[in-house]
Amino acid sequence: MMSASKASRLGEEIWKTRIDKVNSELVVLTYGTIVAQLCKDFDSDYVEVNKQLDKMGYNIGLRLIEDYLAKSNTMRRCANFRETAEMIAKVGFKIFLNITPTITNWTSDSKQFSLVFDENPLADFVELPDDGRAQDELWFSNILCGVLRGALEMVQMQVEAHFISDVLRGNDTTEMRISLIRYIDDELPPEDD
Amino acid sequence: MATAIPSIACLGVIGRNNNPLHVAIFPSYDPVTNNFAPVRTPLQFSLLLSSTLDVFELRARHNAATGVGLSGDFGLLHAVDERLAAYGFETNTGTKFVVLVDMRGRRIDGAIAAGLVDIKEKRLGAVAVGLREGEMKPVFKAMQTAYVKLLQNPFFDPDEHAPPAGHGGKKITSRKFADDMRRIGETWTPGVTNL
Repeated sequence: MMSASKASRLGEEIWKTRIDKVNSELVVLTYGTIVAQLCKDFDSDYVEVNKQLDKMGYNIGLRLIEDYLAKSNTMRRCANFRETAEMIAKVGFKIFLNITPTITNWTSDSKQFSLVFDENPLADFVELPDDGRAQDELWFSNILCGVLRGALEMVQMQVEAHFISDVLRGNDTTEMRISLIRYIDDELPPEDD
Repeated sequence: MATAIPSIACLGVIGRNNNPLHVAIFPSYDPVTNNFAPVRTPLQFSLLLSSTLDVFELRARHNAATGVGLSGDFGLLHAVDERLAAYGFETNTGTKFVVLVDMRGRRIDGAIAAGLVDIKEKRLGAVAVGLREGEMKPVFKAMQTAYVKLLQNPFFDPDEHAPPAGHGGKKITSRKFADDMRRIGETWTPGVTNL
C-alpha cells in the first residue's frame, strides 16, 4: 500500500513537473461567475443550485479521472478505501487545485471520512449573498462533491459526497463528508435466464 | 504636554458616477473631554467628500491637458481648516478614494498606550508638524487592495453600484470591505508603510 508520505511526494512531483498552470484569479472568477449566474437563473433557489453544481462536477469528474490517471501514472488499484482517500487528498487535489485537504473523522468500518479544507481556492474573496438564506442553504463549492462522485464512479466506486460545513457560512472549517456506498466492479452483467 | 499627531478621520469611496459607495468615520481624540469622538457629523463628512469631487475633476482635466498620469495619487486635494485635510486617489475606472486626515487626531502618549505607535519610532517628532509627501500612499494602496478583493467576490455586481450609463448606484454592503476600511482607518499613523 502506498504510504501517506509517498502519496504527498507523488502529488508534489506531478504538480511541479507535469501540470500546466493557469492564473488563479481566472479560475476563481470563472467559477464564481458560474455560481452567481446559477443563483440568478434559479431565482436564488439554493437547493437547486447545489444540485446543478453537483451535476456539473459529476460531468467534470467523469472526464477528469482519465487525466488524473494519466498524469499520476498509477496503473494499480488502491488497496482499500483509506488509500483512495490518501490519493484523493494528496494527489488529486494537489495536482488540480494545489491544495491538500486533511483526511479525518474515519468511521470504524473505514467507509466514511472527512476532507477538511484549510484553504479553498474556489472560494477566495467570496462573500455569500446577504439574503438570510444563502448562509444556510448554498454550498458554494458543491462542484467538488460532484467531481469526486463522478471520478470515483469511473473507477468502480460509488460514493456519496456532501459538505457539512463551510467557512463561507461562518463555520470554523470547511469539511466535506465522503461515504463509500459500494464497489461496483464485482458486479456481473445481468444474466439472461 | 502631550503632542498631537495626525490620524484618519474619515475614509470615503466614491463610485464612477460620483456616487458614495462607502463612508467610514473614525473618532479623534478630544483634549477637552479626554475622549474619542468624531470631529464632524456624518452629514458634514459627506459634504466634505462631495466637495472633493470638483478638485478631482479639475485635477483630472489638468492632468489630461498636460499629459501627466491620468489617474493615481492626487495628493492633497484641499486643506479644509487647520485640522482637516483631504487627500485623494482615483483609479483608471473612475473610482475615487478620499482620506480625510485630522492633523491632531491622536495624542502621542495616548497612541503609545493604545499600542498604535512604536515607541522606537524616532520619526514621530518630525511628522507631528505635518504630513510628508507620500504619507498617504500605504492608505490608498490598502484601500485599493480591499476594493479589488471586493470586486473578486462573484456575488458583488459592479454595475449595480455604478450603472455604466447613468447616475447613482447602490452603496457597498459587504461586511468584509467595511471591516477592511475600519482596520485601515484605525491602524494608520504617520510613518506606517504597510497596512
